[in-house]
Amino acid sequence: MTDETAAPEAPSVDSNREVFALVIAAAGWIVPGLGHALLKMWGRAVACFLTVGLLVFFGAGMRGNVFTSDGNDAFDTLGYLADLGAGSFYFVAKSLETSGPDVSRADGDYGTRFLAAAGVLNLLAALHAYEAARGRKA
Amino acid sequence: MLLFALVISIAFGFLSRRKPIERVKYIVWSLFLFLLIGVGIGWAMYPFSR
Repeated sequence: MTDETAAPEAPSVDSNREVFALVIAAAGWIVPGLGHALLKMWGRAVACFLTVGLLVFFGAGMRGNVFTSDGNDAFDTLGYLADLGAGSFYFVAKSLETSGPDVSRADGDYGTRFLAAAGVLNLLAALHAYEAARGRKA
Repeated sequence: MLLFALVISIAFGFLSRRKPIERVKYIVWSLFLFLLIGVGIGWAMYPFSR
């Protein structure tokens, strides 16, 4: 009897949880660590914020290339997608790099990798928050 | 390379482990492997550098 009344509600609960998980993922993407913070995973939230923030800070400080949407080839587009993964920190990187990129030196090349790594790492963290919000063991 | 490896190791450690002691172990181990493999690949490329 209990099962009969509970069964029809299950899809609705699953759907709510899925929407909640997507909101968490979006929050985690826009502000690194926010997804975990909303799930009250404070350690992971601080770790995500600081690691992505440090990579962006050092990447921009080394005058790495912050790719834009008007790339010339596939590599520029891939770089743009990777950089965009950092969410709002993409714009922080752009604002920090007042004198523009300089990839003629090794520092600039390393900086480009740092910025791309920050974006990909943030996407990974957002995916982790999404899975945690869905109830998977994380 | 050291800075990059350290930051990535810390992020991986916090994301993949729950208990603090396990996190520290994971961070130290992955940092070591990052550096070992990085230096190893560097030396592996040395014969082809000229």
